[in-house]
Amino acid sequence: MSTAFLFPGQGSQQPGMLHNLPRHPAVAETLDEASEALNENILVWDSKEALTSTVAVQVALLVAGVAAARALVAEGAQPDMAAGHSVGAFGAAVVANVMHFRDAVPLVKLRGELMEKAYPQGYGMGVVVGIQERKLATIVEKHVTNDAPVFIANRNSPDQITISGSIRGIERILALARKEGARKAELLKVKVPSHCRLLQSVSAELAAALKTIPFRRPDIPYAGNRTARALLDPEAIREDLALGISHPVRWHEATSLLFEMGARLFIEMPPGRVLTDLARQAFPAARAVSVSDSGIKTSSILVKREKTME
Amino acid sequence: MHPVNQRSRQEKSWTTRRDAKAERLARAARVTKGRVIPTDNIVEALELLLIPGDRVVLEGNNQKQATFLSKALARVDPGKVNRLHMIMSSISRPEHLDIFEKGIAETIDFSYAGPQSLRVAQMLEDGKLKMGDIHTYLELYGRLFVDLIPSVALIAADKADGAGNLYTGPNTEETPVLVEATAFRDGIVIAQVNELVDELPRVDIPGSWIDFIVVADNPYQLEPLFTRDPRHITDIQILMAMMAIRGIYERHQVQSLNHGIGYNTAAIELLLPTYGESLGLRGKICKHWVLNPHPTLIPAIESGWVESVYCFGGEVGMEKYIAARPDVFFTGRDGSLRSNRAFSQVAGQYAVDLFIGSTLQMDRDGNSSTVTAGRLAGFGGAPNMGHDPRGRRHSSPAWLNMMTSDDPLARGRKLVVQMVETFQKANRPVFVESLDALHVGQEAGLATSPVMIYGEDVTHVVTEEGIAYLYRANSLEERRQAIAAIAGVTPIGLEHDSTRTEQLRRDGLIAFPEDLGIRRTDAKRSLLAAKSVEDLVDWSGGLYEPPARFRSW
Repeated sequence: MSTAFLFPGQGSQQPGMLHNLPRHPAVAETLDEASEALNENILVWDSKEALTSTVAVQVALLVAGVAAARALVAEGAQPDMAAGHSVGAFGAAVVANVMHFRDAVPLVKLRGELMEKAYPQGYGMGVVVGIQERKLATIVEKHVTNDAPVFIANRNSPDQITISGSIRGIERILALARKEGARKAELLKVKVPSHCRLLQSVSAELAAALKTIPFRRPDIPYAGNRTARALLDPEAIREDLALGISHPVRWHEATSLLFEMGARLFIEMPPGRVLTDLARQAFPAARAVSVSDSGIKTSSILVKREKTME
Repeated sequence: MHPVNQRSRQEKSWTTRRDAKAERLARAARVTKGRVIPTDNIVEALELLLIPGDRVVLEGNNQKQATFLSKALARVDPGKVNRLHMIMSSISRPEHLDIFEKGIAETIDFSYAGPQSLRVAQMLEDGKLKMGDIHTYLELYGRLFVDLIPSVALIAADKADGAGNLYTGPNTEETPVLVEATAFRDGIVIAQVNELVDELPRVDIPGSWIDFIVVADNPYQLEPLFTRDPRHITDIQILMAMMAIRGIYERHQVQSLNHGIGYNTAAIELLLPTYGESLGLRGKICKHWVLNPHPTLIPAIESGWVESVYCFGGEVGMEKYIAARPDVFFTGRDGSLRSNRAFSQVAGQYAVDLFIGSTLQMDRDGNSSTVTAGRLAGFGGAPNMGHDPRGRRHSSPAWLNMMTSDDPLARGRKLVVQMVETFQKANRPVFVESLDALHVGQEAGLATSPVMIYGEDVTHVVTEEGIAYLYRANSLEERRQAIAAIAGVTPIGLEHDSTRTEQLRRDGLIAFPEDLGIRRTDAKRSLLAAKSVEDLVDWSGGLYEPPARFRSW
């Protein structure tokens, strides 16, 4: 069967995440290339202080994901499909060979800058676990007000959903969700109301920047964030990368699609194991591992073995 | 003689189908060797034998898959072969939908798409797939002889001989019905086989029904779908199984039945030799089964409970055990199982006393569905078994026991039992105000909502709280009260007026475990006749050979 590479998004960052990447020539080359593209040493971007900035978080996530994926490929472990969560989608696009890494770095930096500028204060995100999307949507519809907008954002699993908008509104919805039986309903440490239409202007500016970059047809299917479709058309991927930030990430659907397309091994790029846990929960019949836990060698052996299995 | 008739007799050809077939065969002759298509020529052969717009039935049910042929079909040139109308019992492999993505096929008629249900929904929404209809198995088989007659059948068998005779062995499943509908209307039948041999163990499908044989590069895929590891059976499922045995099987004298594939029903199978025996029920209930060869039935067979089992298909690992128990199973002269999905569906629909299965959602009226948001999973065979076939005329004690009036025209009913815990995993209630199926049906533009089993057909609901005897309800209101009374703390259960409970118990509309003489504390795993797959192997005297993934020792 097939292997899907997964690229984590914001929330997975960890201090030292670039310094702690597996030692591999492909990793070193990727770090150099990133430093060149930024015109400064990328290794100063992963300190605890640096990672308080959305820009640093996003760039570091891109670099870590691509570095590990390249190391796996160098070891003969080619993915059959790719998907990334939010900013992770850029890593997936690079590994699918849709765009060059050196083009992706400044774009992701720009994405972070635009996001930071968009809503300097009073906005953010929350997460609700343990109630179904339709029920949460009903709560939001009933209780949201114009002066404190809240939107359903990312569908990470059938009962793990994030909401975006004004902090005041989010807190009200979280309280109601707890009353309706949510196991967990809390604010996320995110300063940007991502993945809702409040970020439409960011999408527009990002789209303009994406237009200036050459895109190619992907070598492997890329599962889109916004439509949860397997995309092979470079223009559709360009659109997904631009619109992703102002639309919900349909993560559960996107990875379910990869499973239906034959993925029985999910490998999460570093840092962390958020997507590994989601995949394990969603697909008991598949195997999910993170490079952070398993390393390059074990991960690449698993990928090669997967290809021989019918 | 009317002159008009005479003229038409001269001008009209009555052999257009036969002629068209002969043309296709002639065209393909250059890549075939008599009846045999060389393995490497399969894609070219398909390009020569198929024409755009053909109706193609592709064997792919939930067990046996014509994998080699489906992969080959996905590789044909869409410039040569396109707009195919596919007919498939089950859409279960990634390449089944690649055929549509690539534009080789356009329309689909199917029964079940569980493993590809999200992609089916997406492709339908994106216009990459045109929906014929979603069927139950029997409807789909029926339509093969009416308005979905195939031009080409792509099927799978174990072995063939030089004359094209096929051996399908334990996994005959639906191959005969697909071939029959195609071969006798001048369609083309292509069979992939694992090997070509001089002599077959037995003939399951005669060679004169088959046009081509192709030896597959890999054996066809076969899934062990009906193996349930007893290790995963919980005390709650054991409690529910005890209630079903006492409150339904014993009470109504259920002698012939079909079981779903859940752990609930596996628990019933494993309680017959222990709990059932202690109630003195052996020889009185559960004698005749229409069932895939569930390994969890082995202890009941070995204890002398089971007189006969007729199978839809085989089950990986059960071959030797079945061959050694021909008094129980249907076997050929070679000793191996003969299954047939079409006949099994007929038997399960018309000939048995009871169907018992599980579901993901049930509404307050008892309608149930396994459809969840954004997925078009289809039906499979459950609706055939899970309804009361009103044409039935023969009677049995259980069937007659469902009569609730002394009207001279009164008749019995099939027992349709739904067995569910009130919550599934992730805290999702099973009893809901509205089925997701309604929403999905609307989004996909289906003519009717994809309800699996209609509430009006359900005679009993079993939960960990108790049993609702819905067939005894005199009104929709009473029916709703009975369901709500055993729906626990789900939204439907919370609506229940608990002051009605005692009346419902007195009227026999619901029963709690204590009403059936069952102590909740007795429902323990120690009651299971086998507690692991290893125990099942022991019961079988080593004849059952479980697939590697079920071997934990």
